[in-house]
Amino acid sequence: MSVAHVPLGLIPGPFHDRLLALSRTQNWVDWAGYLSPGVLDTAEFEYFAIRNQATLFDISPMHKYRITGPDSEAMLNRLVTRSVAKIGDGRVGYVMWCDEEGMLIDDGTLFRTTSQDFRLCCQEPMYSWLLDAAWGFDVEITDESHTVAGLSLQGPTSWSVLKDAGIDVSDLKPFDWREVEDGLWVSRTGFTGDLGYEIWVPWAGATDIWDRIWTAGRMWGLRAIGYEALHLARLEAGFIAAGLDFQPVHAAMRLHRGRTPIELGFGKMVHFDKGHFNGRRALLKQRETGPRFMLVKLDVGGFKPAQGALIYHRKRREVGHVTSGVWSPTAKRNIALAELKAPFGVTRTSDLWAEIYVNEEGRWNRRMVPVTIEDKPFFMNKRARATPPGAF
Amino acid sequence: MSTDFDAIVIGAGHNGLVAAGELARAGKRVCVVERADVPGGMARNVTSGDGVTAPQIAHLLYNLAPDISRTLGVETRSLPTIGLSPDGRHVLLQAGDLRFADGEAHPEAAVFAVLHDRLTRFAALLGQLSDAPPPKLMEGLAGALSGLRDIGGLAKLGLNLKRMGKAEMREFLRILLSNSYDVLLDELNDGPVAGVLAADAVRGAWSGPRSPGSVFSLIYRLGQGGDVRLPMGGMGAVMAALEKSAVDSGAALRYGSGVASVDIEGDRVTGVTLEDGSKVRGRAVLSSLGAAQTMLLAGPSHYDIETVRRLRNVRSKGTVGKLNLVLKAVPDIPGLTDAQRGARLVVAPSASYVEAAFNPVKYGELSAEPVLEVIIPTLTDPSLCDDGRHVMSVNCQFLPHVPKDGWTEAARGTAQNRIMATLGHYMPGLADHVLQAELLTPADIETLTGAPGGHWHHAELSIDQLLTVRPVNGLSRYAFGVQGYYLCGASAHPGGDVTGQPGRNAARQLLRDGVLS
Repeated sequence: MSVAHVPLGLIPGPFHDRLLALSRTQNWVDWAGYLSPGVLDTAEFEYFAIRNQATLFDISPMHKYRITGPDSEAMLNRLVTRSVAKIGDGRVGYVMWCDEEGMLIDDGTLFRTTSQDFRLCCQEPMYSWLLDAAWGFDVEITDESHTVAGLSLQGPTSWSVLKDAGIDVSDLKPFDWREVEDGLWVSRTGFTGDLGYEIWVPWAGATDIWDRIWTAGRMWGLRAIGYEALHLARLEAGFIAAGLDFQPVHAAMRLHRGRTPIELGFGKMVHFDKGHFNGRRALLKQRETGPRFMLVKLDVGGFKPAQGALIYHRKRREVGHVTSGVWSPTAKRNIALAELKAPFGVTRTSDLWAEIYVNEEGRWNRRMVPVTIEDKPFFMNKRARATPPGAF
Repeated sequence: MSTDFDAIVIGAGHNGLVAAGELARAGKRVCVVERADVPGGMARNVTSGDGVTAPQIAHLLYNLAPDISRTLGVETRSLPTIGLSPDGRHVLLQAGDLRFADGEAHPEAAVFAVLHDRLTRFAALLGQLSDAPPPKLMEGLAGALSGLRDIGGLAKLGLNLKRMGKAEMREFLRILLSNSYDVLLDELNDGPVAGVLAADAVRGAWSGPRSPGSVFSLIYRLGQGGDVRLPMGGMGAVMAALEKSAVDSGAALRYGSGVASVDIEGDRVTGVTLEDGSKVRGRAVLSSLGAAQTMLLAGPSHYDIETVRRLRNVRSKGTVGKLNLVLKAVPDIPGLTDAQRGARLVVAPSASYVEAAFNPVKYGELSAEPVLEVIIPTLTDPSLCDDGRHVMSVNCQFLPHVPKDGWTEAARGTAQNRIMATLGHYMPGLADHVLQAELLTPADIETLTGAPGGHWHHAELSIDQLLTVRPVNGLSRYAFGVQGYYLCGASAHPGGDVTGQPGRNAARQLLRDGVLS
């Protein structure tokens, strides 16, 4: 009897050969078991390429599921908190889904082809949950995590890169998607808040599309990037990340680590009027009793990144902590996402302070800096929404 | 006929009828909807048309709640239990009294009396939990005012437990979750006395006496003192009385069409759509069907994914078959007097025999020698048959819900032959007396009544499906997800047997929840 070889350790993704050739740092991180670049060259170069040129990031380790069949829309409407009926054909929606207690399991993007054909793209493995969610519905769930590869092409020149690669997506509005060539899907989506696209192709032979874009990108400043640069950009855009800004409740081992969409500041994503969805009754109760926590965007005083800092009210009472904090090179501000215990962040929003520890060449210093709650993302640029986009 | 009600009850089984009566007596306009043309569900009489009436499935009352029983006006007779022994030295059990059937003293009489007394006291202790919804532990302990009543109930249980004295309390806690085989054989020899108790412990269950939790089910069976009663006129008479009681209080009946779906608007029930397409409107709907079926009538999209998963996995594989015989005369039973043949006859010569009978069903096979509970109701109630004919009603364990190769004619034949052969050991010549024989397998019972898996309790009465987790975690207090939707059947607390308690508790909870106010 022969036993199939099971690879040990991290395994290469579909674009690994290309990334390996570009990696000066050999800085690899574990993303869902795949070798994923943390940094290829320097995080700063890569970050500024997102905001000034164009960048390629391999998002193949994302989990991807295909949902097909007559009940697809109904099944997904019961799964996620927002109304799937309001996502048009050929559109993409940001979605969240909860457990029965209203705690967030994961968030992701839902790609709608028709009411009977969807793709769900997310961070956490979700196949068994989707199978449970599909019981009683006439749908088929296919795990495409290892058969569909994804590339995120982000940055002001990304449209121009695609154009020179012979891919015309001029008419694609934000959150549109379509099959531009046989087996080549493009969506105008991303995790940077900038102009950008995500490109979906079959896993086998995925390097063809990489090479085609890479060649077209030479004159447009295209760079390959790693996770660190993306982390800066996504925080500027105000996007939350699983495992950092919320703990996916199925993966959390401790009690009471789950958070509801309302507590993450996404109350508008919970459509109570669309019929039953998972966790609806629990969330309805929370709408009445109020959230226990609130995830907020913070403008932090000073320039030292506030990652992990505790938040105080009147410098005395501990009321929360920073879940992600960076210096934003584009906004030139010290920005963060922080979780505050209600009523802080809900009704009490002033006199808040972050306690930041800095190591100054071997000596630790503590700084209490004022923080201000912000409503809007820290980075917003019209080019992200322009249709047709220009050669920014 | 009106099509607009306060409450609609799905299923005219005993729990449905009890719930309807309870609501009607509270002044609510109630309609009972039933797929069959007659009430009763698992407790129906069947009439062959030629002068023979027999209890079709359930044939005895083990546990009918006394307050329900009192109001019915149906005469019931207490039946002694006779444990048949292969050597002809049958044993006679009546309440705590044990002797040989021929009247001789039984050497285990004193031990049995003590054991019976203790188990019935434990049963009374647990019985107080059956009259109310199961305690709401999480929310109650969290300090919600609404939970205080439940905590009160638990505190009362704890107090009564302490009142029994240290030794008894210890014994209660020691045996409660253990297996009946060990508990019984600690006191008794492995003969017909232990056999009868072991058989009663697992009657209706997918478990053997060595299965953990079978002490609990034995105690459950002793809930009302362990008295086994035969209703005059058959179980159908009890159902007719429950139906009459509901109708007299104003409930409407709508038989002959099942419910196709429960109608919901904005997470609140608005009524039901029948299989014939007509609609009945109601502000509350109580379902006496199985828990998963109840969910399916509303549709899985109205339930959380976790709830659906739990409901899908409720264990409800029936193991009880029913053999109904019409006899031209009652056969002799060597070792018993003629009158004693009217008792509840149990074929379970030892606890080991019961365990051995259970084992094959785990693998989808029939017991080689089944455990039988036999009554000849016509000896007590001659009105059931004319022409001197008799009915023999046999509960047979263990029959798989579906055998490995399905219920083929051959499988049915084998099952019937084994039951007849087993009966034949004790009733030589029985075969010559049989005019008609009808075997109902658990699958048949499911088809006839809709009971999930043909299961006696709609959901296995085991520790993981009891109290706060019956039928499943999160739905234990009768309210069934969608506002105004309630579960009132045997899969709700406290469980099966013809007790009426789930029906009554559900109706009372609905009234308490204020859905109809």
